[in-house]
Amino acid sequence: MKNERPYSKEHLLYLRNTRKKNILINVARITILLVFLLIWELSATLEWVNPFITSSPSRIVTAIVDLYKNGTLFYHVGTTLWETLAGFALAVLLGYGIALLLWWSEAVRRITEPYFVVLNALPKIALGPLIIIWCGTGSKAIVFMTILIGLIVAILNMLNGFMATDQSKLLLLRSMGASKLQILTKLVIPSSMPNFISMLKINVGMAWIGSIMGEYIVSKAGIGYLIVYGGQVFKLDLVMSAVFILCLLAAAMYALVALVEKLVIKNDK
Amino acid sequence: MKEVLRFDNVSMHYHSKQGETVAAQGLNFSVTEGEFVAIIGPSGCGKTTLLSLAAGLLQPTEGKVISNGCSFGYMLQKDELFPWRTIEKNIFLPLEIKKKNTPAQRERALMLAEKYGLGQFLKNYPSSLSGGMRQRAALIRTLAVDPSVLLLDEPFSALDYQTRLSVCDDVYKIIRSEKKTALLITHDISEAISVADRILVLSRRPARVVSSHTLSFPENEPLKRRENKEFSKWFELLWKELNA
Repeated sequence: MKNERPYSKEHLLYLRNTRKKNILINVARITILLVFLLIWELSATLEWVNPFITSSPSRIVTAIVDLYKNGTLFYHVGTTLWETLAGFALAVLLGYGIALLLWWSEAVRRITEPYFVVLNALPKIALGPLIIIWCGTGSKAIVFMTILIGLIVAILNMLNGFMATDQSKLLLLRSMGASKLQILTKLVIPSSMPNFISMLKINVGMAWIGSIMGEYIVSKAGIGYLIVYGGQVFKLDLVMSAVFILCLLAAAMYALVALVEKLVIKNDK
Repeated sequence: MKEVLRFDNVSMHYHSKQGETVAAQGLNFSVTEGEFVAIIGPSGCGKTTLLSLAAGLLQPTEGKVISNGCSFGYMLQKDELFPWRTIEKNIFLPLEIKKKNTPAQRERALMLAEKYGLGQFLKNYPSSLSGGMRQRAALIRTLAVDPSVLLLDEPFSALDYQTRLSVCDDVYKIIRSEKKTALLITHDISEAISVADRILVLSRRPARVVSSHTLSFPENEPLKRRENKEFSKWFELLWKELNA
């Protein structure tokens, strides 16, 4: 409802209180981070703990600057980012396509059901050695790993969305004489848009698991490589820096999906 | 008057793992052009099956459903407007499905919307309309492809009582002024009396036609009919037949 009149005093007060509460929450969030970093830094410099094992914020910054100076920062970040995005995109596209196929044909759906159940339960990391033999030791193996981890989840999530299409709306379209293709394009795909978005969100997480785990198994570059390498040579500053960069990237990618959600689901409120 | 729809000794059986259900047995009735027929029956007697048979969505196990080249428009309990489409796009939906999405057809559909007070809502999404307006939009969507027979499956049952009376009145007037044949299925006796030219009473499952009553009232608008003395007499009679 649009209100043409100026707001009442109570309403202005309510608005001000809401805004104040939001500001407080943001302040609290930032304070927690700052206090955490401060205690971490202090306990390292005052040697309450051994900074060699725990690292510290300033050491992390130095490590990242070092990476930047020797020119490998963007190389590692770029490698992992590329692998993650490629794996994510392929898993989502393939997953969507296969889910469509399963929706279309009840026979295929019922025949393949037990296989999907087993594949979903299987820890994909168990296939690590096979992937190295099949795809070599380059980025290809890591992208493959990322797809494996995301694909089944994408398929099952989308299929759930497709199958949950409102029965009355299906009846309505059938009463208009709609073909299966029309039912798919006019109803099933648009009504499963929220499932698509939640599938994207889940798969952002899956893609990072896939690419980092893939790099653990086999890699010559990337953030996962930095973590494994740093652990092996006991350069924990490097490990912490890599984890920190990973946090930033994962958050950025999630924010991107949230933006897509806003653009796509604007009408359904 | 031309006969538009006829059920000729129609039986319908459903099969499931639990067994076989006989939803309808030996159904016989017909609807003539321009008629408003209401079918009432106890709940679970297979009313929706009957509409699906009429629309050709189901094939009868025995007997024949004869529709003389007429087209059907189906209206459901809820409006079933697609929330991601504007009212205008919702109204165009059957045109798209039937591949009649031409400027002339769109123009006709928009004229209908305009005529029945939806003009200002065309660019709105369904969520911003009241229940009554949404049901009206659903009716215009049904009318967009100009069907000769409307099949109404308890189209008001999801609305609250006040809205229901006025939407019923509304829909009745629109159907009358567009000169459509209508087949209404309901469990609400008073709704049936307030709109129908003829009422068919169905038995418990398996459904068959128990009786057929032709109604005549001095005034035909639903709300006026409800005020008439005859109304309660009809109600009593039909209530007894339903619960026999």
